[in-house]
Amino acid sequence: MTALAPELAQQDLETLVAQVWSTYVLDEGPLPAPPAPWNDASPCWSSAVSVTGAWHGMIAVDLAESAAVALTRAMLAMDDDEEPASEDLVDAVGELANMIGGNVKALVPGPSGLSLPVVGHSPLAAPSELAPTLTLDLTWRGTPLRVRVLTAGSRGESPTAPPQEMLP
Amino acid sequence: MHALIIDDSRAMRAILRRIIAPVGWQTTEAAHGREALDHMEAGLVPDVCMIDWNMPVMDGYQFVCEVRKRPEWRDVTLMMVTTEGEHSQIVRALAAGAHEYVIKPFPPEAILDKLALLGFQSQEVSA
Repeated sequence: MTALAPELAQQDLETLVAQVWSTYVLDEGPLPAPPAPWNDASPCWSSAVSVTGAWHGMIAVDLAESAAVALTRAMLAMDDDEEPASEDLVDAVGELANMIGGNVKALVPGPSGLSLPVVGHSPLAAPSELAPTLTLDLTWRGTPLRVRVLTAGSRGESPTAPPQEMLP
Repeated sequence: MHALIIDDSRAMRAILRRIIAPVGWQTTEAAHGREALDHMEAGLVPDVCMIDWNMPVMDGYQFVCEVRKRPEWRDVTLMMVTTEGEHSQIVRALAAGAHEYVIKPFPPEAILDKLALLGFQSQEVSA
């Protein structure tokens, strides 16, 4: 729990992620893990959605390339040896942030709007007015998976710009 | 039985198709509300539309409003299938003419149960 997102607890995020995995990946979900350093040289995928309105923030999901591929195969019912196209990865990783972000939005004060997901093949940079308030570090299939909630300092501020893709 | 699945995520459309196709549903897919309207204006009259809320071009709420303006589509059942779980938005969608509301993530049974509640009985389809 944080001062900037008092309505939202780490347990809420853990439950949401577990629900997504049990429903769509049909796999043991990600498990809590110590924070993992994100190696800039290791490819990863990130997706984020913004919430604007009575609550102002961003929900981002970062996952390793291999995890993104496995997630995409599961959601699209692809064979283990089938290589997802880049647009499939963007679609699946974006939908992951959309589902987690949409449910976070339902837990914080409304009314507010939810953006379409933004997906990057590197960690997404948050708008400068947002600060991390809740970070969930997990591991799935031996790779790190991170869910971040970032919020503005106070409610009712002007809508945030969409998250920007960070250049490698 | 024919369902029009409207979601900008191909993965989510595939998930919904995998849930309902084995129990007798034919499906058509659209990536946003405008594309779905194009299908319907071309003659498709689905039994059910499964509608995401947040989509580019035309969102799910706008699609519901457009469908409800057209008397020839009054028998089409509209089911929102979305991450939008805010109470005010659920009320808004139902007031605009949606019949049911399912929040993602959902287990397959949630979709099938809602369809049964709406009077659509599952049929076993041989592979």
